[in-house]
Amino acid sequence: MLVPIQVQLPDGGWAYIASIVLVSLEVSLTAVGLSTLFSLPIALLVGFTDFPGKGVVTAVINTGMGFPSVVVGLVVLMLLSNSGPLGALDLAFTPQAMIASQFVLATPVIMSVSLSAVEGVEQSVRDAAFSMGGTDVDVGLVVIKEARYGIVTAILAGFGRAISEVGSILIVGGNIVFSDGESYTRTLTTAITVEARQGRYEIGLVLGAILLVLVLGVNGLGSWIRSKGRGDRST
Amino acid sequence: MDPEQGKGGPLDVSLAATEVSVSFGAERVLHDVSLGVEPGEVLTVVGPSGTGKTTLLRLLAMFRRPDAGAVEWDGTDVWTLSEDERLALRRRISMVFQEPSLFNAPVRRNVTYGCRVRRPWGRRIRNQLKGLVTDQSPPEAARTALRTVGLLDKIDQNALSLSGGEAQRVAFARALAVDPELMLLDEPSSNLDPRNTAVLEDAIRRASGRGVGIVVATHDMHQAERISDRVGFIYGGELIETGPPTQVFGDPEDPRTKQFVDGELLYDADESRDDPRDVLDRAAE
Repeated sequence: MLVPIQVQLPDGGWAYIASIVLVSLEVSLTAVGLSTLFSLPIALLVGFTDFPGKGVVTAVINTGMGFPSVVVGLVVLMLLSNSGPLGALDLAFTPQAMIASQFVLATPVIMSVSLSAVEGVEQSVRDAAFSMGGTDVDVGLVVIKEARYGIVTAILAGFGRAISEVGSILIVGGNIVFSDGESYTRTLTTAITVEARQGRYEIGLVLGAILLVLVLGVNGLGSWIRSKGRGDRST
Repeated sequence: MDPEQGKGGPLDVSLAATEVSVSFGAERVLHDVSLGVEPGEVLTVVGPSGTGKTTLLRLLAMFRRPDAGAVEWDGTDVWTLSEDERLALRRRISMVFQEPSLFNAPVRRNVTYGCRVRRPWGRRIRNQLKGLVTDQSPPEAARTALRTVGLLDKIDQNALSLSGGEAQRVAFARALAVDPELMLLDEPSSNLDPRNTAVLEDAIRRASGRGVGIVVATHDMHQAERISDRVGFIYGGELIETGPPTQVFGDPEDPRTKQFVDGELLYDADESRDDPRDVLDRAAE
């Protein structure tokens, strides 16, 4: 027999939940956007060029995907805390600090998957672009176009890592809510930990469902884009 | 020299490799090769697989600088020119590879690629933006090139969904669409059936008739006989002999050429690459 769950909304009601969702999206999207701008050129540069130690660089990038998020949070907090080298910026326990930690976590994912996509573009395609009168920029654009589905997948994977992350943003953000119930640095994941600790499992489940919908939406978008890539070849 | 000279005018350029040598590590791929193509001439480079034909074509296409010797355009070493001047020269050449190497895009985008990259950036961006809101028809040169290879009906199809032979023909159309002064064709009919091989050879002859200088690398002697004005036989990275096809295939001067013509020299074995003279000695015995 199904028993409907009675949800007792916390102070602030749906506005509280909406503010949590907005902070989550704002932090994750900004971090992923910045990470993409940072990661893509490096992935292209590493993918395009041969240099001594390239294998080591690639291994380091790939290893970064396994960074423990709490360690990243700890390091970012040490850097941003009052006694840290970036303490003067006064960013500890702010959304900007959370963006910084998510940037660190999303970057290896976006860089590694993009690099893999770029390296997957056959040399013969680059040669064709060059031989048809393309400059280095033209050849680069062709590679980006050829690797576009892989690059989009990389960005979505980075977003998936960022939005579902809890350890580092809990440390650097502090999970802060204003007195009127509006979130300052509380995200969906950190809110779930609070609700679970306070025994308000129903609200935790609602927040978890929202998070799941977001992650499912992102994965669905990724699948659709990948299938579009496959579909292109059969039309 | 002016890299733009001759554009739109009579085709009066010649491209030559002069005493070029190329090594990949310890492996010597080309040694002291001198070979050039004149306007309207079809020069076929023949030789067994792995003998340096593709490397020679890539040198002529300015993919890389030779380790020794020069690639000359109208007598000027192209590697003494600035990057921009060399780009201008590269844009007067087109190349077809053994593998079609098409982009994951409709055939029309593939065939018009060379035309697009030759436009100034401002115009390219404007056309790109216009293409988002209007359905732009491809330039007539691209349609003509596709018609030449019999694939105009595939213009909107994704290039990666084509068969190997169709892809090869689209690659040829892509090279043709830029109205080149020189064409470099690396085993251009390797994926084609006899009928489409004939279509391609006809297109090669017509292009040379318009004054386009064409270098074809192939191991197919029969094709070389059909389309060439001149043949160069290359073996072990060395140019063994050159001349009209009737001479090279009918009355070869070098025993290695004779071996190749007789079908006894199919591969360029690694041990012979180190010193082709060993092969010469064996042939003399």
